[in-house]
Amino acid sequence: MKRKMAAMAMTAALVLGTLAGCGKTENAQPETKEEETVADDASGEAAEETETAKEPQSGEEKTITIWAWDDNFNVAVMKEAANVYAQSNPDANVNVDVVSLSKEDVYVKLQTALAGGGSGLPDIVLLEDYVSGKYLNTFPGSFADLTEKFDFSQFLSFKVDAVTQDGKTYAVPFDTGATALYYRLDLVEQAGYTEEDMQDLTWDEFIEIGKTVTEKTGVQMIVEIANNKTTLVRAMMQSCGLWYFDKDGNINIKDNEALKSAFDIIVRMKEAGILYEAESTEGRAGALNNGTVVSVVNAPWFISSIRQAEDQSGLWRAARIPRIAELDSSINASNVGGSSWYVLEKSEVKDEAIAFLQGVWEGNTDFYDTIMLNQGAMGSYIPGYDTGVYDEEDEFFGGQKLNGLFAEILPDVIPVNFGGYVAEANDAITTALANLFEGKVTIDEALEQAEAQLANQLGR
Amino acid sequence: MKRTKKAGPNYDRYGWIFISAAFLLYLIFTIYPAVESLMLAFQSLEGGEYIFVGLKNFKRMFGDAIFLQSLKNTFLYMVLQVPVMLIMALVIAVMLNSSFLKFKGFFRTSIFLPCVTSLVAYSILFKMMFSLDGIINQALMHLGILDAPYQFLQNSGWARAVIVIAMLWRWTGYNVIFYLSALQNIPKETFEAAKVDGANAVQTFFRVTVPQLKPIVLLTAIMSTNGTLQLFDETMNITQGGPANSTLTVSHYIYNQSFVYAPNFGYASAISYMVVFIMIILAIIQFSVAGKEG
Repeated sequence: MKRKMAAMAMTAALVLGTLAGCGKTENAQPETKEEETVADDASGEAAEETETAKEPQSGEEKTITIWAWDDNFNVAVMKEAANVYAQSNPDANVNVDVVSLSKEDVYVKLQTALAGGGSGLPDIVLLEDYVSGKYLNTFPGSFADLTEKFDFSQFLSFKVDAVTQDGKTYAVPFDTGATALYYRLDLVEQAGYTEEDMQDLTWDEFIEIGKTVTEKTGVQMIVEIANNKTTLVRAMMQSCGLWYFDKDGNINIKDNEALKSAFDIIVRMKEAGILYEAESTEGRAGALNNGTVVSVVNAPWFISSIRQAEDQSGLWRAARIPRIAELDSSINASNVGGSSWYVLEKSEVKDEAIAFLQGVWEGNTDFYDTIMLNQGAMGSYIPGYDTGVYDEEDEFFGGQKLNGLFAEILPDVIPVNFGGYVAEANDAITTALANLFEGKVTIDEALEQAEAQLANQLGR
Repeated sequence: MKRTKKAGPNYDRYGWIFISAAFLLYLIFTIYPAVESLMLAFQSLEGGEYIFVGLKNFKRMFGDAIFLQSLKNTFLYMVLQVPVMLIMALVIAVMLNSSFLKFKGFFRTSIFLPCVTSLVAYSILFKMMFSLDGIINQALMHLGILDAPYQFLQNSGWARAVIVIAMLWRWTGYNVIFYLSALQNIPKETFEAAKVDGANAVQTFFRVTVPQLKPIVLLTAIMSTNGTLQLFDETMNITQGGPANSTLTVSHYIYNQSFVYAPNFGYASAISYMVVFIMIILAIIQFSVAGKEG
């Protein structure tokens, strides 16, 4: 019997070991690690600057390592910043190394390194404002306090609020998620509406227009992702200055009027047959590009997805998002996401990293113009809004002054306290909405469920 | 004579030297992390530092609705998928082993082929097949069964079914190979004896083939059970755990606790050890069931 038990244990251990081993190799997701330094940049201009940077200077050249995601957006913007810095500060003697990772990889690697005591960390890292609280709470002291280093009154207040904790500001605000309603004017016109009809709507009016448009054109009015409808929810919620958490960080779901209205509006959209539920982010972009849906509510960076359909050039327009009619606090402006640059406290080149951020991200409006034009990046630096770039007309949007629209929306956005647990809250809301859509619960029950789930998750 | 004398004492020493490298790696990469994570299971990350919290992480599990839901889902997959897969694998193996079958090599390769596909790649493929404009919806609409495309992945029942179907496709061939090799080790005499005694094909299968395959059935059952308990790639890529957590697995939840939510490695480790504990219990049950019958 004893021998049998031993044999059993050994077999089990072997099997476990083998399987664990298999799992690990197979689970390894294709990493999109693409270490690209400024020096690798193919453009002649960059090569020239690298040479300047590499010229033997007094002392050793220092490397600032930056982690970011999205080659066409954040990474490109930071590389541009590196070029600008090298040009304007040839004596700085630093080499900026922008490492492009997937967003998930940035978080996973950062989280692992911080939890493991801090080796293998970059010097500057890009984080979404939604996760700001999570990192600042969980790893206090890991990020450099920048309060005294920048004049934060020159940055949008809701962006600064998002990266400030206990009166200390920990990041340089980068892009904003100023929310707009992007729609196909041609389809709206086919249903007998004009561009003026789409301005400063309430969601009730939007649904009525949607019904007519869907009826007359056979195209559904608005798209949202089926298993994660929180973009709409968050946009509606912040348009009232409300959030999953109140100012003190307490859960605010069950009695949250904005959430209640948001759930109601989304359910009414579905019942009216005007809501197209895409299966993924790719499916959402695809539906817009092949003309399956009329409109979408999203941030400035979403425009690049819309632009993919070149044959639709001139047919698109952007407008302020609708507001919630029954709530007086609701305005035609909101924000979904956005991110900021953090400096790691324990970085060996902390001072150089801060100097680099100061040198480019503060005061240099030309830089903001460049990234606005090239990447469509909507910065948070207020003096950057006064430049001519904002009068630029966008052909794809029928000559509309798109950047100007965002510059107009941004100051209206009401700051909210994101708190440290946005991912948890999003999951709770997603679950509640799925149950609501399957008809298992009422809106009030769904919200109670979400609050209970979140409270349980946070151990409150 | 001389050689054996010399080889005697050194034989052991050389043996140890030869395995030492592998054993060292095993110590560093398997034993050490396992022990460390066990320690972690009793700790919690608070204010940037790990503090000892005793059994708090384990207690939390029993009140954690999402964890319990993920456990329920995982068991559901196990109960639905493992028996169906093993029976299918056994039937296919017996068919592939039959003497009258032509092109055996071709069929064997085809059956095994799904196993060499990457977990992520095949998951994405299944997601595409069951998507709104996927091949399944197209086929059902052409056949007149559906009028409009159906969102399989947005219905909790169907989403689970898709995961199970995907796993059946991926893993059945893997088990077929085990059964095939075991079948080939069964002495031919036993089949001949059954034939002489007048047993038909069904009787031969249940009375002669299956009993002699028992050890391998046990092995595949344990491996499949473990595999299901560690299920991650499929739910991550096909459904992201949705709708309403109805496809979330325990492994997926461990991932969420570590990397998606505010990092809670202590709690994640505690759940991992809970999974280990469940595996041990299941293995003991499987061994004892097999032991009784034999």
